[in-house]
Amino acid sequence: MTTEELRTILEESGADAWEITDTKTEGWEFYFIRHSLDQNRVRDVEHREIAVYRAMDDGTMLGRASAEIPPTLQREEAAREIAGLLADAAYGKNPVYRLNGPAPIDAPRPQETDPAVIAREYLAAMQGIPETEGEDLNSYEIFVDRNEVRYCNSEGIDVTQIYPSSMVEVVVNARDGQHEIELYRLFEAGTCDRKALTEDIGELTRFGRDRLTAEPTPAIGTGAVLFSTKDAAELYRYFVDRMQAKLVYMKLSDWEIGRAYAGEARGDQVTLTARAFLPNSSRNRVFDDEGAPIRDLPIITKGVPAHYLGTRQFRCYLGQEDGFHAANYEVSGGTGTEESLRTGSYLEVVEFSDFSVDEMTGDIAGEIRLGYWHDGDRVTPVTGGSVSGTLRELMNEMRFSAEQRQYDRYLIPRLTRLEGVHITGIQTGDN
Amino acid sequence: MKAPFSPWLAAQAEPLKELIASLSSHYDYVSALASDSRGFRIVASQRNRFVDRSTMTTERGVVVRVHRDGLYSEYAFNADDLRDVHALAARMRRILDEQLGVLAAVGVKVYDTPGLEDTPLTIYAEMETDTLPEDADLETLMKTLQSYSDRAVSRDERIVECQAQLSSTHVNKMFLTAHRDERQSYVYSEGTIAVIGSADGRTEMVREGASGRTGVQVIDELAETIDGAIDDVLKMLHADRVIPGEYEIVTTPEVSGLIAHEAFGHGVEMDMFVKGRALGAEYIGKRVGSDLVSMHEGAKCVVDVASYAFDDEGTPAGDVTEIDHGILKTGICDALAALRLGTLPTGNGKRENFEHKVYTRMTNTMFDSGKDTREEMIASVKKGYLLEGMYSGMEDPKHWGIQCIIARGREIIDGKLTGKMVAPVVMTGYVPDLLGSISMVSGDRCSYGNGACGKGHKEWVKVSDGGPYLKARARLG
Repeated sequence: MTTEELRTILEESGADAWEITDTKTEGWEFYFIRHSLDQNRVRDVEHREIAVYRAMDDGTMLGRASAEIPPTLQREEAAREIAGLLADAAYGKNPVYRLNGPAPIDAPRPQETDPAVIAREYLAAMQGIPETEGEDLNSYEIFVDRNEVRYCNSEGIDVTQIYPSSMVEVVVNARDGQHEIELYRLFEAGTCDRKALTEDIGELTRFGRDRLTAEPTPAIGTGAVLFSTKDAAELYRYFVDRMQAKLVYMKLSDWEIGRAYAGEARGDQVTLTARAFLPNSSRNRVFDDEGAPIRDLPIITKGVPAHYLGTRQFRCYLGQEDGFHAANYEVSGGTGTEESLRTGSYLEVVEFSDFSVDEMTGDIAGEIRLGYWHDGDRVTPVTGGSVSGTLRELMNEMRFSAEQRQYDRYLIPRLTRLEGVHITGIQTGDN
Repeated sequence: MKAPFSPWLAAQAEPLKELIASLSSHYDYVSALASDSRGFRIVASQRNRFVDRSTMTTERGVVVRVHRDGLYSEYAFNADDLRDVHALAARMRRILDEQLGVLAAVGVKVYDTPGLEDTPLTIYAEMETDTLPEDADLETLMKTLQSYSDRAVSRDERIVECQAQLSSTHVNKMFLTAHRDERQSYVYSEGTIAVIGSADGRTEMVREGASGRTGVQVIDELAETIDGAIDDVLKMLHADRVIPGEYEIVTTPEVSGLIAHEAFGHGVEMDMFVKGRALGAEYIGKRVGSDLVSMHEGAKCVVDVASYAFDDEGTPAGDVTEIDHGILKTGICDALAALRLGTLPTGNGKRENFEHKVYTRMTNTMFDSGKDTREEMIASVKKGYLLEGMYSGMEDPKHWGIQCIIARGREIIDGKLTGKMVAPVVMTGYVPDLLGSISMVSGDRCSYGNGACGKGHKEWVKVSDGGPYLKARARLG
């Protein structure tokens, strides 16, 4: 069954509104142990996701139900599925809103989308990574996708975009005699930027070397923590999450347009902008999951929320129909120079096991795999223990650098410093 | 009732066997895994309701694995109706050969691996369930979830939201080779209650769950968790941070399961042995925990969301004793890793879905029970915490570090719970130190199947884990 046939069934189904998102993916994948090919794979798939809507309660409420309709479903089977969904929609009843209508969409910027071409660049890049006797690649996986996404709905939108996305998972080993350690990274991008990939893996290798000589993290208790790697993007994701219309509507975020998010801020204030395009982002799209045009849009300006993000349903509930579900973000640089942020005693953590920031509570937590304890003129690589705290409080004294660095979908300050973070060393005494 | 095997999959069996025969003239091993899993997920809360006929594991598609010249290759597809299997075979060969051309141009070498043996095997497993998600009465279920949400928010004005969720999936998989025909059908379901409280600018959430390889009856178990979740979230609104340090701890079965999963679940996934990424490979036969520590892993070791008849490579389900009275006995293994290590697969080859590669993955990971009681454990603690609820964990098989983010800790002083709570709690440490410190193990145990497990930061699969209450020492922050 074709997408056109599916569309016809929906038009004839009696649904008051409907949507189709048809995503075709050709994915090329390569898995390596050291530099030997473990396995090669191809994904040649199409996913058709639909949503049907029915007006209820004199048009004050809207029922919605969604499903994936497999391409191998026969026309009669699809019609039955959709009839069932229309019945289901009565149980997914929420206040009424209207789907996006047609709007001008920018032409996409030209970019390479052929997985064969992109994969070849990745293969050559990874085979050419500089290695030494003491530092090398343990294993890596390369994923390259050509994504073709068509979105159409009952309001008359029918748009298609094609974009590449890719991912490389790398495990690096460093060893000193019998002592061997590993570090892990998952790099995401649009296509292969060989120079950036080589530099990033080079940085990881340097961290690996330092981890070999790392000492147990000291009993710091509470102190300053400097974020200088990808984990800093997690901190800024909290600001993105707090501005999600769904969280605000559900009363899980109390951030309001026009009211500063931090009343007692003594550090830098975040300026967050949704970006339609970031160089080589894996999500450079011209429309979002609901067919809305994506553009540059200020979300937070100097600590004051300006525009909610997210799906149309929840934006409408907050009285803000204009908008989209963004994917790329920029956090403007702060006031600090690198020198001014690297003062006093502080712990710079460059590798966590899994650094997390809870979108609702703001709790931060992560086990330290590699950090640098800067104490006066001494810099000591450390490992073990954890950092924890609540960003809700820590953001009052958050400072970040003017200089920026991009991690796929996030362009953020190169350095971010938090004060008063709980640091659990592994030299602490018993309780 | 038995969960009936998918008619769609049954209809694909003959064309797929033809496809396998067609490809076998070019490759020395060919298998196909076809999936047709259906389900639903519904959510009720105070401000939003949601109905979706998809879950984390619903899918319909096929992945074909081939082997030639020491190399395994795979092709995953879902849009071909198998009416012309020879054309499909030609397309697969063309694109896989195109990949080999790119690899050759870059000078890539192959990790030479022997072909899998294709010993004859037939499995037809339609497992027991109470209901099928296809037949579920969503109206009644949604009303019940809504009543849970309403009950929670009506109890205290500080409860600002309660999201009640239920999902149920009817899994159907068929694994075929020239000599194997394996088919399985089963249902698993899970429900969660997320109670959210807010006061003085602070927001906290307590999540409770119920799961099983059953139908939607898990919704009844959820009802029993609501009052406890409300009590806990109200306390968490005033909870302090734990003072960083090492403490005596008592872990609830849910937290014990998280430790099992992160400590020697991931630590003995033997595809990591092939890459030299797991310290466990050097510790087989050696002590890694106290005498009280025994641990099992396998689709057969309990019945929960990860209990199946065969894995995604057609290997029958197993039950592996990983740790026996503190001694590391063996790991778990997918079929290709087993070939490379010269051992046997254990039924732990799993894919996120038909589009994804197989890795060695956990199923159900459980600490064995002991003879102590929860009350005896608490009474034995001079200063420490009873740890409850889990947010996340992270493995570190190479260095045996462990990170567990735990929802809350109840203070214990001189053998008694003081009523004071700390939240959240970050538990870190060195796995053998943590397992070596286990000094008491309760006689009861439970499994929890509401979570999902990634490998690194991707490849999400359903797992369950659990165990009894444990008493140990750990570093908290």
